[in-house]
Amino acid sequence: MSVAQRENELQKWYLPGILGGLGITMKHMVKNLLNKKKMITLNYPEEKYEYSPRFKGNHVLTVKKDGSLRCTACMLCATNCPAECISITASEHEDPTVEKYPIKYEIDILRCVFCGYCEEACPVDAVRMGPEWQTPGLSGANFKYNIEHLAYRPQLKGGIQSVLDDEERHKAGI
Amino acid sequence: MPKCTINGKEIEVKEGTTIIEAMYSNDQKIAHYCWHPGLSVAGVCRLCMCEIEGNPRLQIACNTVITEGMKVNNTSEKVRDAAKWGLDFHLINHPLDCPICDQAGECGLQDQYMEFGKYDPEMAERKQKKHKVVDLGPTVVLDSERCILCSRCVRFTDEVTKTSELGIFNRGDKSEIGTHDGKPLDNKYSLNTVDICPVGALTSKDFRFRQRVWYLKDQETVCNGCSTGCNVKAYFNKEGFYRVKPQHNAEVNGYWMCDEGRDVYKYVNREARWLKAQKRTSAGWEEMLPGAAAKDASSVVKANASGTALVLTGQYSSEEYESVLKTFTQELGTKKVFHWVNNSSSFDSFDGLLLRGDRNPNTKGLLTAMEKFGLPASKWADLEAGLANGSITTVVVAGPENQVWFPEMKQVIQTLSKAKNLIWMQTGKNAELESLSGNVWLIPMKSYVEKDGTFVNYKGLAQKFKKVTTVVSEALNLSEAAQLLAGQNLMIKPETSVLVETARPADRVMQEHRKKNEFVMKRGTL
Repeated sequence: MSVAQRENELQKWYLPGILGGLGITMKHMVKNLLNKKKMITLNYPEEKYEYSPRFKGNHVLTVKKDGSLRCTACMLCATNCPAECISITASEHEDPTVEKYPIKYEIDILRCVFCGYCEEACPVDAVRMGPEWQTPGLSGANFKYNIEHLAYRPQLKGGIQSVLDDEERHKAGI
Repeated sequence: MPKCTINGKEIEVKEGTTIIEAMYSNDQKIAHYCWHPGLSVAGVCRLCMCEIEGNPRLQIACNTVITEGMKVNNTSEKVRDAAKWGLDFHLINHPLDCPICDQAGECGLQDQYMEFGKYDPEMAERKQKKHKVVDLGPTVVLDSERCILCSRCVRFTDEVTKTSELGIFNRGDKSEIGTHDGKPLDNKYSLNTVDICPVGALTSKDFRFRQRVWYLKDQETVCNGCSTGCNVKAYFNKEGFYRVKPQHNAEVNGYWMCDEGRDVYKYVNREARWLKAQKRTSAGWEEMLPGAAAKDASSVVKANASGTALVLTGQYSSEEYESVLKTFTQELGTKKVFHWVNNSSSFDSFDGLLLRGDRNPNTKGLLTAMEKFGLPASKWADLEAGLANGSITTVVVAGPENQVWFPEMKQVIQTLSKAKNLIWMQTGKNAELESLSGNVWLIPMKSYVEKDGTFVNYKGLAQKFKKVTTVVSEALNLSEAAQLLAGQNLMIKPETSVLVETARPADRVMQEHRKKNEFVMKRGTL
């Protein structure tokens, strides 16, 4: 890195620069003490930053009203995925109105690049990118998320409901 | 021989040719659903519209016979408009099932919509609800909503199989494909209806939801299900084979193939295969690599070459028969070669369409090769007698690939296990063989999709096929196994590729390369 050095008389003296710097620090300290709400730093582990709803974090599989998976195993997310981190095994559902559903839906979260193409490809709002991003784990942790984790992990409190409902669509004649 | 002009190209066609046939044989593109080259003309989809000069209205290409001097055009705006509206009418009641439809990716509606789609449907009415997931029979599932009533499947059962199970019921927008009560779609060729269905209305139970079609690669090969030798396309990905579809060959199978032939991919996949060789002795058994096992077995073959019998099934390629017979007759000097004829009671039967009782793709090739090496058509009884009187001590078997069609398998294994040494080469697993004790070598072989070769079908037509992919990489083919059994080593021949200039000495390439490197090195320090 190159730094342009400006030669002037003040720089020859040590104290003016130091005092100037300390002055700025003091100014901010007093400001923050008087107006805590405007303080821009966070007490991180206790306080957490609120991300925008468009944030692309860990995936969530949405559920229908009855709590079953919304996913129809069309594999468009897996096809669209540039990191090839999604693997799905489809099967035939007993209910003929459902027809096809995934018996395995795995996302290798360490391969995922969080591009969000999967939720863009999904025709039925079955996969979304959620707000979570802190997912540490030990070396033995399982980073291949399965249906149980993607749709029903405790943080989701019973599952996120999809905006798309088959019954409503059928009633509307689509 | 009338002459006509199609899209500005002047062509001469046979008397009675329809426009669509002429367009097909001249590589012209035309949208169509109901017309199929192997079936009669129905003219119901109204998509193959074309403009004929002098005719005020558009005509369907599938049912208009070419006359002298006819000028046909199917690229004009008028034709495109007709196709666009025709397609929109097809889609009035078509559900948005593409995500869960098996046909997606190879669907006629998707293809044509990309070309002619209206993208802005003006249909305000509700879609007509029909039956979904209808079980038509043991192999096919019907979704009436997706059906566009092209009647291809109905015509197929009427004209090709002549079983007439399918029909169109009800009228107007309530029309549906269906079967009569108590008469399911259950014939030996039922899955062809799935192939010819231009949409996803008929889906195969076997393939249903197992894989999206865009994940599959395909390669043409020859079916090894029976001696007809249908031309097929095998669909596979890195996990294995998923389905087989017929490929048009007017001389062999036309456009069709039988349902039993579609099952052969199952015996090729890893789950059904021997991956490692086994050497079983009275002391127990050990697992070996196939090549090592064949080499190991060569000691017993060579120790008593004249007492070695070779049992061949008609499931291998002609090239393999040549080389195995050459090795056994010339290197080892045994003349005891036996032809294992499976299901002998129905061996010569024929169902009138494609399926033959001889469930081996290459019986003809085997018999020709045996004749070529001057081997008499030795009887199975000789083998049994030889085993009984001790003149045959070692039996080498080239076992079947499709074991389901070898009903007498168990019996043959019992007979042959009387031999002192049994060397059984085969692709698929077999519990009987794996429970044998005594000196047994079980050697995994390559299946027909893993090697190049030739099958000679029942009428003597030799069909070459190419390797599709590798499933079990360690497995041997019959030529390699024979060489190893005769105590020879396998030689890897240098590939004579067209890409390498073979006339140029290999060394010169190296020298030039080295010179370049020296130049780089002298450029300076990095």
